[in-house]
Amino acid sequence: MTAYIIRRLFATLPVMAVVTVFVFFLLRLAPGDPAAIIAGDDATAADLEAVRAKLGLNLPIHEQFGLWIWRLAQGDLGVSIFSDLPVTRLIAQRVEPTLALTLSTLFVAVSLAIPVGVIAAWQARKLADRAVMVFAVLGFAIPGFLAAYILIWIFAVKLQLLPVQGYRPIGQGFWPFVEGLILPSIALGVTYMALIARITRASMLEVLSQDYIRTANSKGLATKRVLLLHALKNAAVPIVTVIGIGIALLISGVVITETVFNIPGLGRLTVDAVLKHDYPIVQGLIMVFAAAKVLVNLMIDISYAFLDPRIRY
Amino acid sequence: MSILSVRDLATHFHTRDGVTRAVDGVSFDLAAGETLGIVGESGCGKSVTALSIMRLIPPETARITPGSVVEFEGRELTRLSEEQMREIRGKSISMIFQEPMTSLNPVLTVGTQIAENVWRHTGIDKRQARERAKEMLDLVGIADSQRRLDEYPHQLSGGMRQRVMIAIALSCDPRVLIADEPTTALDVTIQAQILDLMLELKEKLGTAIIMITHDLGVVAETTQRVVVMYAGRKVEEAPVGELFARPLHPYTHGLMRAIPRLDIDAETAGRRPRLKEIPGMVPRLDKPIMGCAFAPRCDFATERCRVEAPPLEDHGKGHLAACWEVARVQTVAA
Amino acid sequence: MVAVPSDTALASGTDEAPRSLAQRIWTPIRRNPTIFAGALLLTILVSLAILAPWISPDPLKQNTINRLRPPSEKFWFGTDQFGRDNFARTLHGARVSLIVGITVAAISAVIGLALGILCGYFRRVDAIVMRIMDGIMAIPSILLAIALITLTRPGLGIVIVAIVIPEVPRVVRVVRSVVLSIRAQPYIESAIAGGTKGFKLLVRHILPNTLAPLIVQATFICAAGMLIEAGLSFLGAGVPLEIPSWGNIIAQGRSFFLRAPWCIFIPGAFLALTVLAVNLLGDGLRDRLDPRLARRM
Repeated sequence: MTAYIIRRLFATLPVMAVVTVFVFFLLRLAPGDPAAIIAGDDATAADLEAVRAKLGLNLPIHEQFGLWIWRLAQGDLGVSIFSDLPVTRLIAQRVEPTLALTLSTLFVAVSLAIPVGVIAAWQARKLADRAVMVFAVLGFAIPGFLAAYILIWIFAVKLQLLPVQGYRPIGQGFWPFVEGLILPSIALGVTYMALIARITRASMLEVLSQDYIRTANSKGLATKRVLLLHALKNAAVPIVTVIGIGIALLISGVVITETVFNIPGLGRLTVDAVLKHDYPIVQGLIMVFAAAKVLVNLMIDISYAFLDPRIRY
Repeated sequence: MSILSVRDLATHFHTRDGVTRAVDGVSFDLAAGETLGIVGESGCGKSVTALSIMRLIPPETARITPGSVVEFEGRELTRLSEEQMREIRGKSISMIFQEPMTSLNPVLTVGTQIAENVWRHTGIDKRQARERAKEMLDLVGIADSQRRLDEYPHQLSGGMRQRVMIAIALSCDPRVLIADEPTTALDVTIQAQILDLMLELKEKLGTAIIMITHDLGVVAETTQRVVVMYAGRKVEEAPVGELFARPLHPYTHGLMRAIPRLDIDAETAGRRPRLKEIPGMVPRLDKPIMGCAFAPRCDFATERCRVEAPPLEDHGKGHLAACWEVARVQTVAA
Repeated sequence: MVAVPSDTALASGTDEAPRSLAQRIWTPIRRNPTIFAGALLLTILVSLAILAPWISPDPLKQNTINRLRPPSEKFWFGTDQFGRDNFARTLHGARVSLIVGITVAAISAVIGLALGILCGYFRRVDAIVMRIMDGIMAIPSILLAIALITLTRPGLGIVIVAIVIPEVPRVVRVVRSVVLSIRAQPYIESAIAGGTKGFKLLVRHILPNTLAPLIVQATFICAAGMLIEAGLSFLGAGVPLEIPSWGNIIAQGRSFFLRAPWCIFIPGAFLALTVLAVNLLGDGLRDRLDPRLARRM
């Protein structure tokens, strides 16, 4: 098992290597003069030179690359153009709200979507199933910010049940913390839920037509046991895979959701950096988000070994 | 004394393209401790008959039509609630299926799959159920049962899996075991072992068996009485010796002809004899059939056979057949 | 296993009665309701987008007297904070969304097809290209687009490029798996053994088989592209403000959300409706053209 985990861990290295190289060349190969854009339209020649120096663009390209790798290896993501603060510190300051938001979304989405998908498969082609499918199709079509504004309009403006926006750290009390996360989590999770519900339904439908489900029924087992143990355990691998794939959706959605709800997380940091053309921050965020995504995929790969005894490690 | 009595069982599949009469009025009885064979080509409705008794037919499309009667120990199974039916499945009537490779759940251990049937129906605790599961593995001749309990189906051979299926099916001492082509998917040598095991356990436990097969060899080896099905109906029924000595229906006659005689070794042909030498194919069941369903493939068919369906008639010695031309068939068969 | 084949497949209905005109139109609609719903909705939206300059000429005309007016007979969709007509802006916004969606889908499909076929044919290319694709797929698509936009001047072109790059790997994967599975088919192996040349093989066997999954994938990329464009424009990192797009209309409406929610809800609803139409079309096409994939979703 440990050997399997280590092997999977090593398999992530090439992916991260490609991301690293890609991010490096994005800046160097971008059309036009990125330094000029980063420095802004009213920059003087001296300003431009300063930006170049900060980005290390005046060194020979192999030295630039060496430096980039060397710093990365030490956990150094460079320095913000505007604030001169280390990117790692800026990111560290903003991690908590984003982590809170994504984890609560993950929790809400998974704990709602899987039961819903199971029920839809069990009630295939009946009313409950149709309703779930309509929700799933709509969930794919509704952009995150529209979902967010609809939720705000109903629950914050009209019903005044929840705050319009803002984030309270958990240190300021559990309820304010949760209150601030409810609407963002639902808004962020709509598409994700639709995705999980849909794959759960499809995967369950496939499993429910298998011979071993007939065997389980021939033992007179309770429907609950047949659905939740015999079927769901077999349907788990594709569901877990999609939960992993969907993490990318969440990360992309975080940028928008945090903007709508004014949550000071990594998403806000990204948007602020883009508007100021602060490339080192964007580049650092890409590395962090890509690493997060690769890590999640790794955890999912490992979970397969627990879910399916036929997978050899 | 019959413990299971099937009367006019009809199971229809309702699909977008119409109604398929998979089983269309089948009746038979099963006595306690008896082994009854149901034979016929694939698509003749024998598996659907078995699944209908268990009420395991797909609920979205299949319906057991009103008027069908499946009486088990004095209870009408078609009228029971789903919950009551679940009490019976796996406890009083259990079933083993054709495909041991796919009939066991791949992600649950063998022990769990046997034990859950036991604690579902007997109310003993999980530890005792596991103990019972081990006993069952010993009973079906799986060596090293303690270790096997924690293994998954993919770690077992096809023959062993079918033994596990038998262990599950017999774990609550059922009165009736329905075996749907239990050996078809297995190697020839394993087939014999599994059949021997079933017969041995039947002697030991006194379970009545419905043996569904298309293999007349299996019928001859294991059963006491045989029902021959064609196109969703029973066309002939007789004690096994009587049937082989005196087949009355041209279809049965054709099936018999498909068996190699003793002087030709079936084993050298690589496979057991199959029912494939009857020309033509099973008719479609989604349109009402005029006359005798077998007529288009029958050497004996007359004008009358094509327009008027023959009734089942008693020809003595518990021998029933549905054919207008019994007399002619007999002269040829003799 | 089973000695006697079932005959139902062989003797399936050949004696269909001649059908009336109404039946001939109705039957395919009944068989593929999602394709038709999607296509109908999309046709309406595309017509509106094409006709936008004639229906309502100027989406940029300011009129400070009529600021933030709610929907009325004169301004069907209300006005924004500069008194610009939201109806005109929304219709013109449809042009941006559809152009981005269609272009992104087309470019991704072409590049992805080429790379996918190369990967399916040449082992060495495959190893390199697929590693790169894995790397690109590890970067959340909106972030990758944002990074590109940080480095360039805003414009429709760069937005399209920025959306295409993260979508290409999805197409490559689909095409590659189709090519590999077709190459493993016995009839292709025998065609190769029989001396069929690579190019002929490609045109005759491989391209036709990639077409169905490619079309299906392209519709989903079209939908994803429209959503990402709207997201980018909403964040201020997309289409420049002088080109009204649903994303930047909503972005400009943010500060006035409580006073003028129509500035957000109406373009948002149009976006959702368009994405819905494309997705329905995609779902329907997938069920029809690619049943193997359909069963998995």
